Amino acid sequence: MIPTLLVVLPFLLSAVLLLVRGEVARLVALAGAMLTFVVAILLVGSSPIAVPWIPGFGVYFALDGGGSGGFLALVASFVMVPTIVWASVRVLDRPARFLAALFAMWGGLMGLFLARDLVLFYVFWEITLLPSLVMLAGWGGPQRRAAMLKYLLYAVAGSFAMLIAVLALRPLSGAASYLFDDLMLATTVLDGQTQTWLFVGFVLAFAVKLPIFPVHHWLIDFHEQNHASGAADVAGTLYKVGGFGLFAWALPLLPTGAAVAAPVLIALAAFTAAYAAVIATRQRHLKRLLAYASLSHMGLVAVGLFGLHLAGLTGAMYLLAAQMVTTGGLFLISGMLHARRGTFDLSAYGGMAASAPALAATTLFVLFASIGVPGLANFPGEFLTLLGAFQANVGAGVVAVLAVIAAGVYGVGLYARLYQGPESARVSDFRPVEIAVIAPLVLATLVLGLFPAAPLATFEADAAITVARQATVTAGTLPDVVLVLQGAGR
Amino acid sequence: MSLPADFVITFAPLAPALTTLVFGMATLLFAVFEVDRRANASLALVGVAAAAVFALYLLMQGQVGEAYAGFGLRYLADTPAAAFTLIILLGTALAILVSKADLERLRLDHPEYYPLILFSATGAIVLASAGDLITMLLGLEIMSLAVYALAAWRQESRQSQEAGMKYFLLGAFASAILIYGIALTFGAGGRFDFAGLAVAYASPGFDAHVLGALGAVLLLAGLGFKVAFVPFHQWAPDVYTGAPTPVTTFMAVVVKTAAFAALLRVVGTVVSGLGVGTAVGEIVWVALALLVGATLVVGNLGALLQSGVKRMLAYSAVAHAGYLGLAVLGVEGIGVRAAIFYLSAYTLMTVGAFAVLSALTNDDDRGDELERFAGLGARKPFLAASLAVFMLSLAGLPPFAGFIGKILVFQAAIAADYVALAGLGILTSVVAVAYYVRVITFMYFREGGSEPIRPLAPPLRTAIVVALVGTILLGLLPGFWLGLLERGQVLLGSL
Repeated sequence: MIPTLLVVLPFLLSAVLLLVRGEVARLVALAGAMLTFVVAILLVGSSPIAVPWIPGFGVYFALDGGGSGGFLALVASFVMVPTIVWASVRVLDRPARFLAALFAMWGGLMGLFLARDLVLFYVFWEITLLPSLVMLAGWGGPQRRAAMLKYLLYAVAGSFAMLIAVLALRPLSGAASYLFDDLMLATTVLDGQTQTWLFVGFVLAFAVKLPIFPVHHWLIDFHEQNHASGAADVAGTLYKVGGFGLFAWALPLLPTGAAVAAPVLIALAAFTAAYAAVIATRQRHLKRLLAYASLSHMGLVAVGLFGLHLAGLTGAMYLLAAQMVTTGGLFLISGMLHARRGTFDLSAYGGMAASAPALAATTLFVLFASIGVPGLANFPGEFLTLLGAFQANVGAGVVAVLAVIAAGVYGVGLYARLYQGPESARVSDFRPVEIAVIAPLVLATLVLGLFPAAPLATFEADAAITVARQATVTAGTLPDVVLVLQGAGR
Repeated sequence: MSLPADFVITFAPLAPALTTLVFGMATLLFAVFEVDRRANASLALVGVAAAAVFALYLLMQGQVGEAYAGFGLRYLADTPAAAFTLIILLGTALAILVSKADLERLRLDHPEYYPLILFSATGAIVLASAGDLITMLLGLEIMSLAVYALAAWRQESRQSQEAGMKYFLLGAFASAILIYGIALTFGAGGRFDFAGLAVAYASPGFDAHVLGALGAVLLLAGLGFKVAFVPFHQWAPDVYTGAPTPVTTFMAVVVKTAAFAALLRVVGTVVSGLGVGTAVGEIVWVALALLVGATLVVGNLGALLQSGVKRMLAYSAVAHAGYLGLAVLGVEGIGVRAAIFYLSAYTLMTVGAFAVLSALTNDDDRGDELERFAGLGARKPFLAASLAVFMLSLAGLPPFAGFIGKILVFQAAIAADYVALAGLGILTSVVAVAYYVRVITFMYFREGGSEPIRPLAPPLRTAIVVALVGTILLGLLPGFWLGLLERGQVLLGSL
């Protein structure tokens, strides 16, 4: 009941917001966000549901609030609340419509994280695309049309490739339904080659939404062109669910396919992490810098996943959850900076620590969390990810460490360019609403950094499924070329 | 002495077709005696509703395993037939609503219009219920004759006359091929009824496989004209564009539904029967797969190249024939259910798109260029939002009905081992997203559109709202309709 409510409630609120205007819309949005978050908290201990959705075709409306998806849904909901508060004050043009799109994304993301039926997962995967397109199209910057078309093309091409794999999975394996448990039982019969093809189908979609090189181009324009408040960017950050799709579906269901493709993909992932971090150090546009930083994190997530080791898989999911808070927080701060100065051009900034010390300190804190300083949110995930990477492939591990070093450079560099040096302008420090927006995220950054045990145990339980299945992939079932590649990796 | 079972007429399965026939004649009498013309549309709607009540009754009989059939399985009213009849009636009703709103404005309100629509619907119902090659031919001809006249309805327009003429000539050609196929099939199996043919083909002594396969291929070609399979699709873009929009609406949904119903039944019985234990039977399947593949590619690429929305929808109708063809390939598994669902969704979203289009076009039924849709999002939010939903649904994006339909037909094809063809279908769907979304980008991203847009006529609004609600509901809750079909009964072929 609770999982269903958590998915349906945001969509209902979204529909209501299409009908109301002005102050009423703001009230509905704030109350609705609180209510939805309360429902998200109730996920803990809720019972899963599964009712037939497309009878005769083995498709269920199946949601489960436990496990890794439940925790990610909880963190995403936590980040959505301040995002909606911030959007309700900063989006001045048709705010009710914008909030409606945010709520629709919220609902779609909840479905994505909680779905336990593969077709249902695909449905939410696609549904979530529509509001994110609407926000970019309706409230984006001057080049939004090009950004939107690029985003749409990548996303749709990827997801249709996944659709082939999704639809073929049940007939080819003879599974009773598209429920995760039924698929797990049946997919063991698939031979290595079939698994590899199906895995490639999934990876095309997940790589676009991770994103990793070379299908990451849409991401930069997407963030640059989205609304200046940064609220749409936060929603977009939560929607980087490719890693979750791999973790929850593709890797456990297709162990041989994963083993075959992993050596190539881990190399791409490590390259993405380092390459994006290095490019981020050279950016002059605040949002582009954050986009590249986020891309670098996603590369690390992918390194952890494609290592196919327990530590890496667990760490990758933890990093995914943590970067929702930290990257989300940075995008919200970028919106606050834009509200003061009206530009994202970093050369116009500088020396603002004098007039806005609290803002500067908070930015530094979230930046530190983002670049993986111990004790803060990203550290446990990053550490485990790198640990897993070294276990799987030392080369990939070394390259990924370069990304972490470059992260230090762009992180500190960004702080220096914003707040230090000659004073560019006197700005006001935090307004009360900004404190209300950023304080919960700062708190979450600390909590995720200091108390990682419980969520790590949740992720590890699910990661163990993938690892256990990997153990069944014996060397004899792999094509020779893969063994050579793996040998080279070790 | 009692008559053999074949000669006892059971009226129950005929009820929907007879109802539309009777109301067709009533509207004709109204027309002859110049009774109020607007009342004529309402009378036609009442007729469609009455026929739908009967069709619903037949559908419910299928639920309890007591489906009707007449003339010894030559006229069927099992679950597929009743479901297709309902879709035909839905399409007819929506087309009548669009016509009611627009005929007067387009100065096309001649008295014979609604009778012809109802007669054509009668033929469509017979075609969808046929259990025999002759019944099928009768239905096809009754349906087509009326549409030939309707396609040329705009007398002063060369384009419309050309449409009617082209459709008639190619239609006659298609009928000839179909009749030749019937003759060869009869030569091979010695029967006209599908049940008898299937038995004859499967019997141990049967040796006319080549003749049977040739007949089957010609049957496919003949029906392929009506459903607009490539390369028999050449008429479709010109006829759809040339015919008045209300007529195009009717053709695009009703004719296609009926022709697919017949195609599914023929492939499910005759072609399936031929395939039992022979390599020759495979040839027919290969031919069908080739047609479907070509239709997917040509239909989608054709639509991509169009600048007019009406013509784009015409090519998109060809493309959707390709997706439905995937369901036909899976007819021995879950194909029929998939096709019924797909056609339900297709009817709703296509009528919706044409209805929005006809709310915007000029009084000479022209003006469907993309530029005309510029700025529609700001000027007519309801029309623009509805059209956006129809386009997204046609493109196959969730949570709309078109998405579920696509999932079902792809799954039907994959289950029948046409994985590569399903892959091609999904690949071409990406192309489809491009041309459907282009309309949306014009509505919401381009400034412009200075010419006034007339207020929405109430019947048109009704049609759009019905199509909109249906498209969304079928997408969110497909279980009602599919569950009904799953529990149904099929007398010939599979469900």
